[in-house]
Amino acid sequence: MSSAETNNRINGQIAPSQCPHLIDYRSRHGSKPFRALQDCLRIKPPGGRASIRRDPAEVPRCATCGDCSAPRHYACLACAVVSCHAESGSSHAASHASSMPPGHEIAVDVDRAELFCCACCDQVYDRDFDAAVVLAQTSSFTTLASDLSTAVSDLKPENLRKRRRVDYRPWSPDMRERFLIGNGSIPLSACNNNSGKSLDMDLPWGLRGLNNLGNTCFMNSVLQALLHTPPLRNYFLSDRHNRFHCQQKNGSSNHNTNCGGKRNVGESNGNMGARICLACDMDAMFSDVYLGDRTPYSPAKFLYSWWQHAANLASYEQQDAHEFFISILDGIHEKVDKNRRKPHNQCNGDCCIAHRVFSGILRSDVMCMVCGFTSTTYDPCVDISLGLEPSQGGSAKLASMKAFNSCNGEADCMNSSQSYGVSTLTGCLDRFTRPEKLGSDQKFFCQKCQIRQESLKQMSIRKLPLVSCFHIKRFEHSSIRKMSRKVDQYLQFPFSLDMAPYLSSSILRSRFGNRIFPFDGDEPDMANEISAEFELFAVVTHTGKLDAGHYVTYLRLSNLWYKCDDAWITQVNENTVRAAQGYMMFYVQKMFYYKVSEKQDVP
Amino acid sequence: MSAPNEDNLSSHSQLSSQFFENFLDSMIADVASECHRMAKLGLDRNLEEGEDELRSSVLARAQVADPSNSGKTNNGKDVHDIFGNDNSAAGNEIFKCMKCGKPTAVGKFAPHLENCMGKGRKSRPKTRSSTALQNQNRYSKGEECPDGTTEDS
Repeated sequence: MSSAETNNRINGQIAPSQCPHLIDYRSRHGSKPFRALQDCLRIKPPGGRASIRRDPAEVPRCATCGDCSAPRHYACLACAVVSCHAESGSSHAASHASSMPPGHEIAVDVDRAELFCCACCDQVYDRDFDAAVVLAQTSSFTTLASDLSTAVSDLKPENLRKRRRVDYRPWSPDMRERFLIGNGSIPLSACNNNSGKSLDMDLPWGLRGLNNLGNTCFMNSVLQALLHTPPLRNYFLSDRHNRFHCQQKNGSSNHNTNCGGKRNVGESNGNMGARICLACDMDAMFSDVYLGDRTPYSPAKFLYSWWQHAANLASYEQQDAHEFFISILDGIHEKVDKNRRKPHNQCNGDCCIAHRVFSGILRSDVMCMVCGFTSTTYDPCVDISLGLEPSQGGSAKLASMKAFNSCNGEADCMNSSQSYGVSTLTGCLDRFTRPEKLGSDQKFFCQKCQIRQESLKQMSIRKLPLVSCFHIKRFEHSSIRKMSRKVDQYLQFPFSLDMAPYLSSSILRSRFGNRIFPFDGDEPDMANEISAEFELFAVVTHTGKLDAGHYVTYLRLSNLWYKCDDAWITQVNENTVRAAQGYMMFYVQKMFYYKVSEKQDVP
Repeated sequence: MSAPNEDNLSSHSQLSSQFFENFLDSMIADVASECHRMAKLGLDRNLEEGEDELRSSVLARAQVADPSNSGKTNNGKDVHDIFGNDNSAAGNEIFKCMKCGKPTAVGKFAPHLENCMGKGRKSRPKTRSSTALQNQNRYSKGEECPDGTTEDS
């Protein structure tokens, strides 16, 4: 693969390396001929396949031999002569280029709308040509001006979109700030824990067992993941939600606490009527857990607050960890000042820390299969729930073991996962973003055709969250058959995940034939610096049956893995994690960017 | 054009096989053109990385499944965890319930709180938060975790 010639990330601004003949052609004619070609571009709905025809009924025929059945016909850009091309044997397209004076090397594949250099005998690519094709495709699909503007971004490189990111500027405290920090705090090493032992600072900071309060491993597992979610941890440990401040604002008294006291049970604030704020309880928990005391912590206050928030879930029984996760994010969001709170469907992530960390935007496209008209909607999401592939039965496990045995000593006998029947997270994401034909009973009303038509639906990620939580739908409940079952099927998940192929820009691009063009979500000005790379940092696993199971969380700290089994923390080999049955996987962006902030006051 | 049946047949089958071959060649050219574009523009997925991950996963599962390795994993509750805590006191610590003030064992706090808050054994309402509904989640019922205890229901 010669992708070394080009950049790894494609967007509207990248031009792949061009052969000398194309460069020469461009320097002589500019992009005028491509725009002239637009009249000849015929777009075939619903897929939008582009072809070149001088008139719609034209059948391409080789001017040299009269053949019209060859797989490829090329029209010379200089003189419009159509020639056939065959790899082996005669290529009349190549002979046309060599027999004519210089300038007839570049031709266009009339059936595929691809540029071809007849001298190099290779397909070549040009940004302006691709733009012309995409414009023809979008204008043939849409009648509404608004859709055109969302599909088409500004082409001219000079007219960049408003710069939305600022460069990182490192900060360190000056003398005065150092003095203030020193005066207002106590070094961690000076704190004692219960037994008076000096703090163990060799082991990872913030690692602490959580006591099971009675079937609360579903809660402990999620809390462990949240306690080590980098942006969330940074937020609370930087005092961005000060619980004393928050409660004072809400008119309740507060208890002063110091780090020397007994801090292994989440205790009341001393005011029974205190307004519940899950963010405050979270703040208290972060303080207690990161204190350095290594005896297990009991999140009793958190449970109490959560049960007050989610009254319908307040019962002593094993519950779903994912449901708990959604519930507390909801709870943290709800406590945001009512004046600033937007309804859920308008939440763009600036409302509360829960959404700033976890909220992304999903794009849903529904395309009419008759005319190609596409209707697009955007929805925020705090996680992505993925269904497993229909079970391959026992053969999956057997196949993967066989593969292992037969691969001993052989470097490259591994084929794609499909052939070994192993489900993968990327496979699930592929399925999540692939075009899905809506059943004939789900016909969608097409605004262009003005009747219900069969449609194709496709999901993609318009905006990635800082932290992506993938939830695997392992618990199936059939209300019809009144039974529930758990899917134990193994799912492979990577430690590093590139989300680029699932972005709206990538999905849209592939829908338009992977043309070089800025699509929805592309950032023209930061082209090569956008990273969609994520790193795994926490895995919540479920073992056992639907009725009697246990949740455990694996945490990755300084590239070492720790198993958090309620109060029991052990270090494990990464293979243990790879082999585990993932239920919720937490990935964090490798690279953070500073966003230009319009307002001074950030919650 | 009239011709004997046999000639008709052979020219028909020739024609159809020719048609089929042209069609097939055209489809192959379609795929080749698409793949060529993806490769040239750097859009092709990093297959090697995916294979590496799969291979690591297969090896990991084999290692974990291997009985000779299981002795090394720390299942033992009679050993200390990384902080030197042992399991003996788990859940037995007593503290004051923040609602009613009664001393309660940590491991029995949830059932206590349920009664304390008046939830008791009422049947649970079917309603859920809208976000949970969106995700079409189903909760897993459970009886006990290894560290917890069950109350009589």
